[in-house]
Amino acid sequence: MLGKKKTKDVVLDALWGDNPVFRQVLGICSALAVTNLVINTVVMSVAVIFTTALSSFTVSLLRKYTPRVVRMMIETLIIAFYVILFDQALKAYWPDMSRSLGPYVGLIITNCIIMGRAEAFANANPPAISFVDGFFSGAGYAIVLLAVSVVRELLGMGSILGIPMPYFSTGLWDRWIIMVMPPGAFFTLAIIVWILRSVKLAHEAKIQGAKK
Amino acid sequence: MTFGGHMIHLVVILFASVFTENILLARFLGMCSFLSVSRQVKTAVGLGFAVVFVMTFTVALDWLAFQYILQPFHLEFFRFILFIIIIAAFVQFVEMVIERYSPALYQTLGIFLPLITVNCAILGASLFMVIRDYNLAEGIAFGLGSGIGWMLAIVAMAGIREKLTTARIPAGLQGPGITLIIAGLMALAFIGFTGVLSGR
Amino acid sequence: MAIKEKAWYPIVFMFIATLFFSAILIAFGSFTRQRVQDNERIAFERAVLEALPIDLPLKASPPAIHTMYLEYIKDSTDASAGALRYMKNDSLIAYALPLEGPGFWAQIRGVIGIAADKKTITGISFYEQNETPGLGGEIVKQDFRNQFIGKLLADKDIPLEIRMQSVLLDESSVHAVTGATQTSTRLGRFMNDQLMQWLHAMKETN
Repeated sequence: MLGKKKTKDVVLDALWGDNPVFRQVLGICSALAVTNLVINTVVMSVAVIFTTALSSFTVSLLRKYTPRVVRMMIETLIIAFYVILFDQALKAYWPDMSRSLGPYVGLIITNCIIMGRAEAFANANPPAISFVDGFFSGAGYAIVLLAVSVVRELLGMGSILGIPMPYFSTGLWDRWIIMVMPPGAFFTLAIIVWILRSVKLAHEAKIQGAKK
Repeated sequence: MTFGGHMIHLVVILFASVFTENILLARFLGMCSFLSVSRQVKTAVGLGFAVVFVMTFTVALDWLAFQYILQPFHLEFFRFILFIIIIAAFVQFVEMVIERYSPALYQTLGIFLPLITVNCAILGASLFMVIRDYNLAEGIAFGLGSGIGWMLAIVAMAGIREKLTTARIPAGLQGPGITLIIAGLMALAFIGFTGVLSGR
Repeated sequence: MAIKEKAWYPIVFMFIATLFFSAILIAFGSFTRQRVQDNERIAFERAVLEALPIDLPLKASPPAIHTMYLEYIKDSTDASAGALRYMKNDSLIAYALPLEGPGFWAQIRGVIGIAADKKTITGISFYEQNETPGLGGEIVKQDFRNQFIGKLLADKDIPLEIRMQSVLLDESSVHAVTGATQTSTRLGRFMNDQLMQWLHAMKETN
């Protein structure tokens, strides 16, 4: 059952082995700015997962018919297509959220992860597995950003998802305004990347040691 | 507004987009190449110049396209696709021209051009130009300022990182980790410019 | 020679793909256009009602808002200098003055309510803004907006000052949003400019 094992590998690679955010710190531009509130990050994450999964699927579906010279153009077109769909749907059915995310939904188009998955995976694999790869690459990215947003909202606003947290929302906790400002995003992400990479390095060292 | 008033207004937009509203440090746009191409000052300067050039012109072209193509036909939501196509086409065009007429410039600048199409700061500048209802002159000032601001940030980052090559950094923090922390400190420093421009 | 290698193939392929995806987007766009426009209209009407001394249920449905708006709000006249009028039993209760100006990121659009005495603020509300969520974006929250209710427009260049947190307040000033100096300064600037203009116009016409 080669197919089954492959799916599991693809999922694990996307989430941990090759996680785009903390391995290469890719594709954070479009979303880092909205990580100061958890709810905004959740919606952005859904948008990214939606786009990566479906655009990988579509790129893969068309891969045998797409001429090489216009490949990048077609990929951009497909990605833009899904982003506009999402943006338009948000405008029509959740106008408040659409207003608070501003231009950032549109900027998902230039998210390097989506293009990267389309180029590196979907171009050479069948649609179903490309969908899985896209979905979990988006999810791996979402998990890291959600972690950033939880830290920022908790320390900066004393709440999570707008719900006041015990201790942090009381007078005992002096809100860290810097967490809601741009530098807070850089510092929080740096620390999360640091922790995850250290864990990974320790893990790899252990495997190497076992081999010897 | 008088002519002088107009000029001051444009200069304010220009300076604000270089410092206080730095597209990279305050808006997080163009992070990918900022993190990966900031190891050496020389390459950072090359990429920076390419960004300034492309951003200024594409903001102007996108403004024209939005004003005269998208708005008359009520296709505003189409801007994402059209802007990307304009940027890609412009970059391709510039690459061809430089390669043909100035091989020396192509050697220094040409290699950075393909990197620019995927730089979110370029598309971002055009999208902000639209949501802020800028006119053409304001848009160009904003595009130029954002480009210069981006270049300033990446060159400063490269300068700091060159000094860091001999520093002892914890293994897990090497590469992107330490770069993010430096970016955070730079963002803090740039916030300090806010007071300078609070007057009219 | 396979069809894929023909010179015309990439162009035709690109053309068909663009046409196909664009067609779906245009169809979806026109399907939602009415809804998007309605949303914008309702957002404006809600902001007008919120800025006035009207009991608006927190979860009022869009049709309910629209009905209330039609019932109470009358268009501006020359005598109201561009402000909408809140009428009840044929008497004027308050003015709703639309505000618009540059914020930190993009245009901020809102409404400020002023009682019939042209002095007491009845409330403020925003229906369009792209300020940083959690920072400048906090201007839409009750904490910030409720400060305005009952404040009096001062008879000077800055009728309604937005002050830093550390400065004490008087009857014609409110506190800025913590950490959002830029949004607060810019809002204060265009709000006061437009209030001054309105007060001036009201003096001239009446």
